[in-house]
This record gives sequence, structure tokens and C-alpha cells, in this order.
Amino acid sequence: MATLRESAVGLFGRRLAQALPVMLLATLLAFGLLKLVPGDIAVTLAGDNASDQRIAEIRQLYGLDKAFLTQYAEWLWKVVQGDLSRSLLTGEAVLVSIERCLPATLLIVVLAMVFSVLIGAPLGVLAASRQGSWIDSAVMSVGSLGVAIPNFWLAMLLIATLALERGWFPVTGSVALSQDPLRAIHHAVLPALALAAGGVAEISRQLRGALIELLSSQQVRTLHAKGLSPMAILWKHGLRNVGINLLTVITLLANRMLAATVVIEAVFAVPGMGSLIVNAALQRDFPVVQGVILVMVGIVLLLNLTADMLYGRIDPRVR
Amino acid sequence: MSQIEKPSFDVLMPALPRRQALAWLGGLALGSQMAMPAWAQGAVKRGGVLRIASLHNPSSMDPATGGAGTDHSYLWTVYDTLVEWDYDTLRTRPGMADFRFTDPKTLVLDIKPGITFHDGTACDAAAVKFNLDRNRQDARSNLKADLGSIEAVDVTGPQQVTLKLKAPDVALPAVLSDRAGMMVSPKAVQALGNEHDRKPVGAGPWKFVSWADNQKVVVTRNDKYWRAGQPNLDGIEFSVITDQATALRSVVAGQNDFVYALSARYKPLIERAKELTFITAPTLYVIQLYFNWSRGPLANAKVRQAINFALDRKAFIAAGMGGLGEAAGMQLPSTHWAYDKAVAELYPHDLERARKLMAEAGLGNNVEITFGGYNDQDNVRRNEIVMEQLGKIGIRCKFTTGTIPEISGQFFGNEKKFDALLSAWTGRPDPSMTYALMYAKDAYYNAGRAEVSPEVSALLVESRQKSSVEERRAVFSKLQRLIMEGAYSAPLGFQFEVAAAGPKIKGFKPNLLGKPKFTDISQA
Repeated sequence: MATLRESAVGLFGRRLAQALPVMLLATLLAFGLLKLVPGDIAVTLAGDNASDQRIAEIRQLYGLDKAFLTQYAEWLWKVVQGDLSRSLLTGEAVLVSIERCLPATLLIVVLAMVFSVLIGAPLGVLAASRQGSWIDSAVMSVGSLGVAIPNFWLAMLLIATLALERGWFPVTGSVALSQDPLRAIHHAVLPALALAAGGVAEISRQLRGALIELLSSQQVRTLHAKGLSPMAILWKHGLRNVGINLLTVITLLANRMLAATVVIEAVFAVPGMGSLIVNAALQRDFPVVQGVILVMVGIVLLLNLTADMLYGRIDPRVR
Repeated sequence: MSQIEKPSFDVLMPALPRRQALAWLGGLALGSQMAMPAWAQGAVKRGGVLRIASLHNPSSMDPATGGAGTDHSYLWTVYDTLVEWDYDTLRTRPGMADFRFTDPKTLVLDIKPGITFHDGTACDAAAVKFNLDRNRQDARSNLKADLGSIEAVDVTGPQQVTLKLKAPDVALPAVLSDRAGMMVSPKAVQALGNEHDRKPVGAGPWKFVSWADNQKVVVTRNDKYWRAGQPNLDGIEFSVITDQATALRSVVAGQNDFVYALSARYKPLIERAKELTFITAPTLYVIQLYFNWSRGPLANAKVRQAINFALDRKAFIAAGMGGLGEAAGMQLPSTHWAYDKAVAELYPHDLERARKLMAEAGLGNNVEITFGGYNDQDNVRRNEIVMEQLGKIGIRCKFTTGTIPEISGQFFGNEKKFDALLSAWTGRPDPSMTYALMYAKDAYYNAGRAEVSPEVSALLVESRQKSSVEERRAVFSKLQRLIMEGAYSAPLGFQFEVAAAGPKIKGFKPNLLGKPKFTDISQA
């Protein structure tokens, strides 16, 4: 047991050590890209009646005239001290912006994951257990559709039907979970559904494939011979054996959904991390972009680390 | 000012119920016929909170440190200005202060008594001096150039401030009707420092409550507002929704009461929504081609003139501005006090004259001109219209598109990319500001930083020296004529305000500046 804990701690330590250079590289790349693309935040900051002189003053005032690496190092030094800096445009502390926007994004992603698993997993099991039947074909068709439909278009359909025609859900915005949990979830349902379509498809297809492979294996034949019912084989042995596949799909999906919220947040006017980074990137507000990337990379690394730890729990051979 | 259109297609297509209209919005379906409800009028009722879908986050809630023209509708809730203007003409009138020139280089401001800031301190002469000095001298102030003509600000009485000018500047009252005239509480600025950007304290009709970036700005009634009986509303909640379709959808669904600064392409959708009122009015916002006349083919006046003759402005407005606009022959619309009809009509659509001028320019039959343009839906369409229209006189337009900061920075900034830019001018309270910012030798919006002519430079100065409206109008006529005869830009169309109001509100008055104020709005 002690060895198991030690190996888990070791894995955690190793992953954390690997995470730091990844985060540094990601923020350095993003910073470099923002500096490379045309557009100067000093012009925006100089206002409507900008002049060359004022733009030069602004560059000096905000340190935008310093060398690229100096600017990056200054930002990094602040981060090390726990300060994610302030938005150049609005002066809001980046940490405050992230604290406000992150819950809205996470709520949508978590809810989308729940929908994906709750709908996708049973569909996958059903299709696998009825391989070749019309049910299997129907599930696979739905799966293909889910992957093919652009989520922004599905979002608009959901708005038109469930929010506008039926009035069951709000059309735009979000409510903080801490303020009113039920209303927060009510606001997040449609964005999460739009986001979950691809997830449902992917989980059902992956699960079906893995289960079919497993159900045709020697092991399952032996279980049949031992007199276990098909349902018991499927639920007790089948799902446990495809657990790693399922976990991998879920982890990849969660990473992808974090990125896909950019579009969904725009359609539903949800003030989340996606809107935050898009607005900031368009205005070249690099402290905000850097802060969001840092946090998002951290979340993705944490998700991957959690998945790695869970692999060991599901399949001891992985340890 | 506002064009509250009567339902003209009721017989052809009755107004749709709200939900159907919403469904259209959701599916991005666009129609052509529409019906419009009448604009609600009646007795003013006090109270209620107005929920506005706003397309832009403020850049700052401090007038001195902000940079975006879209800030004003937020700022005007918290701040009053020393000088104001008529909504229809932008002629200046007293605001928090009466103003008068005692001589061409002395402007006296008599601050109205009884005005207090939201923190209870008095808005007196000392406070006004603090503000004007801060705006002129603070390192973070973006208003230094606006107040560049002031030599000294003297307190000449408890409620009186006298501005000594370096040179005559009759545009100064108009400047004080904008950001530079918005008075902040000195006590708050001293106590909060840079934090005042996000916790503003003014003397306007509403007090600041909160601002969550890209999400919400909330203001509440100032019970001690100096104008008795105002404001009508208890508060305003701005929800920042940057996507226009989504913002409009929120109003159609009843989640918000009002949305403004929409594209004209949403007109049919607003009119289809049974409970919404479509509001439109002229503004100073002019869509135009900026030229870099310091080099390349556009250094040739005949090419610039040919472009102006080749542009079919009516067709441009019909196809590129949803039919909502006024053809622009200069940088001021026909309702403006300094408008000159003769100048505005210098360039009728005349392909023959345009071709003749191109031939005289001697650049051959296939001239390539590089253009910068923006990549949003409306602008991409406009780029195509310009390409098509100029193609008729043998000009091959090579457009590069991108975001506004990217492309405008490349054109006006150090890179000096592109020969021309299809963009817009948002207008200023005084026309001298507009012309100086675009045509002065070193102006940022003069892409080539080349002098138009010594005569134009002299008129730019003179436009700030003449005191009577008639004299100023004469100066602007000369100035505008020289600029348009030389075709230093190609104005295309004045964009109209497009707003949608829900059934609960009434009394909104658009203004020519195109930056809405909300003091007249009340709940039905």
C-alpha cells in the first residue's frame, strides 16, 4: 500500500515538474504571437483623438516600448509573486476577471460532460449489445450527426426552439452558481446541450467499438460458458474492461470542450473564459490573454494528471 | 430626429408574434417586409430599471483615461458635462456651467450652484479647475491634446473659472461637451488614484454601482441630482453582449429592454418583432475611404477625384448599409449647422468624368490600389461593393482584411500599409475637431502625415478663431471645399442609428453624435 502511495506521489511530482515548462512555453508562445500579429494596443489606449505623440507616451507609460523578453520577464516575475497583472484596457485585475469568468465556463463544460456521459454511455452499450440491429444503426447515425453538426448551429436551433418558441430556457447570459445554483444551471443547460452533441456521439461510438471488441474476446466466451447472463457480462466485466478507453475519451473531450466554449459563449452571451480571451486577444490586451492561457493550460494539465492517476486505479497494470 | 416609421406593410404581412420573431432571429432568417409598432408616448413615469444590451465593454469609467468612442453612453450616466449640445444640431448650450468668451482668448465658466458629486462634495470652481488641470497635465490623461489651447485655468470666484487661452479657440465649449467637460470628484480621484477608472464618482444623474468586465455595468439613481425631477429611471443595467444578433435576441426575448448601435441589417428583424419599436436617426458617423495621398497612385489628385466620381453612393447605401443612411459628399450630414450643400454635391455619380480623369492621370488602364478593410460581415460586403464600383473605371482594388485594431493600425500607424482604407469617422461635437484630426499635417488620421496645403492648414486654425456661427460656417465652407476639391478622402454614407426598444420603455431621443443618452427614457 505504501509503495502504491509512493508511486502515486512520484507520478504527481513528475507530472508537476513537466507541467511547469509546458506552462512557460505556452505563455511565451502566446505572448510572442500577440506581439507578432499586427495591431497596437497603445493606439487603442490613446483614445479617439490619438496622436503620434500620445501613442509614444502610452507605450512608455505601460512599458510597451520595452524589449519583448523584458516585457515577458516582467509579467512572469509578477506571476511568480502571485500577481496576474491587470488588464491594460480596463484596469481590472486579471485574477478578478478569471475568478468571475471561470465558474461560468466550468459549469457549462461540466454539465456538457454529464450530458455526454449520461446519454452517450447508455447509447454505446445499447448499440454494442445489439450489434448489427436497427438500434445499432440508429445510434451510429445519431453519432455521426452529432459529430457533423457544428455546435454553434445547434446552439441557434436550441435557442430558436427551446428558448424562443417554448420559452423554457433563457436566451442569453449566465448566473453565478454561488448566487443562485438553480438559476445558474437553468442558464447553462442550453449551452451545455449544444456543447454535448459531439461528446454524446464520441462516447457512444468509442464505447460501442471497445465493447464489441471485448464481447467477441475469449474472456467473454469463458464467462458465457460459466453461465453468466449477458447483462452481467456487459455491466460487471465489459464496462470495467473498457474503463480506460472511456476515461481517455472523457479526458480528451473535456479538453476539447474547454476550447469549444469560445463559440458557445459568444452565441449565448455567456461571460466566460472564452469571451474573456477572445475580447482580450482582439484588443491585444496581453496580460489578460496570458492570464487566461496560464489558467487554462493549468486546468488541462490537471485533467490529464487526474486521468493518469485514475488509469492506475482502473487497471493496476498501468501502475 | 428619430424616424419612427408608420407600419407600411401591415396589409402585406401582419406583425409576427414575439416568439415567431425570436425564432427567426435564432435561425438567422432574414426577411424583407416588415411591420412596425407605434412608438409608445405618454406621460413620464418615474422609477424602474432600464436593462440595456450594450455591444461594447467600457475602456474606462474615468473620462480622462478612457479611449473608446463607445464609452460615452456609460459615462453620460455617471457624469454631467460643463457644456452640452442640442440633440438635433450639436449646437452647444450650457450644461453644468454657463459659458462666455469675454475676449477671443478668455473663456469664462460660471458653474451652476448646488451641484454636488455623488460623494457629497461640491462641484465648485476649485473642483472644475482640478478637473481641467488633471485633464491637461496628468500622465494618464488622453485629453491633453483636446485642451492644448488652454494656457491657464484660474479660479475667479467660488463658482467661476476663467480659462486663459494661448490662441483663440471657439471650439473649446464643444470640447467641454465631450470627455474633457465631464467632471469627476477631486476627492474620489485623490483617494482612489488609478482605481477611479473602475469606481467612478461624478455628478451625473446616476451613481456608479458596479462594473464586471465584459459582463455588466450597473448604475443607480442619484437622489441629489441637481436637475430637479430627473432622472426618470431608478437605475440602468448594461449587459455587455458583443454579438449584435445575440444582443438583439436578448431584447426580443424580454431579457433586456433596449439595444442600440445595431447594424442596419437587423431592421427587418426588429420590425417583425411585434412588441419592439424600431428607432433610427441620422448621425455624424460616416463610412468613407481614407486615402494616403503622400505616395502611390493616390498622390495623384485626378485619381482621387475619379474615385469620388466613380462611387455610386446611393447604391452603396442600398446594398451596403441596409438602405439606412444619407449619401455623404463631405464629412458633415445635411442636418449639421456647418453643412454646405454645394460642396456635398461636388461629386455626383458620373462614370464618364471618372474615366476621363483616370485617362488624364496617365496611369494606364489597369491601376492597382491596395486597400485595407475590416473582416466583419457588413464591412466585407462594403469592400466588395467598392471593388465592383471602382472596377468600372479600371481600378483594380486589392483588399486586405482583418480586425479593426490590426488594419487601422497598419494604415495609420508606422507601417503605412495600403493606399486606402475603407473605414468610418465617428464624428466629433465640433467640426474643427473632425477636420484637424483628419487633415492637419501631423494628425494620426492623416495616414501619410503630408500637408494638404498651406491654405487648408491656415483654415484649420481659423476655424477655431471665428466666433459667430455665420463666420465659422463660412470658414468651414472654404475648408470643406478645398478638401473635397482635392478629394483627400471619399465619404460614402452617413450611418443612421439603429436601435430597438422593448414595450416597457418610452421617450428615447437619439442624437446626431450617435452616442445615446438615457435621461429622457422612462418606463411605460
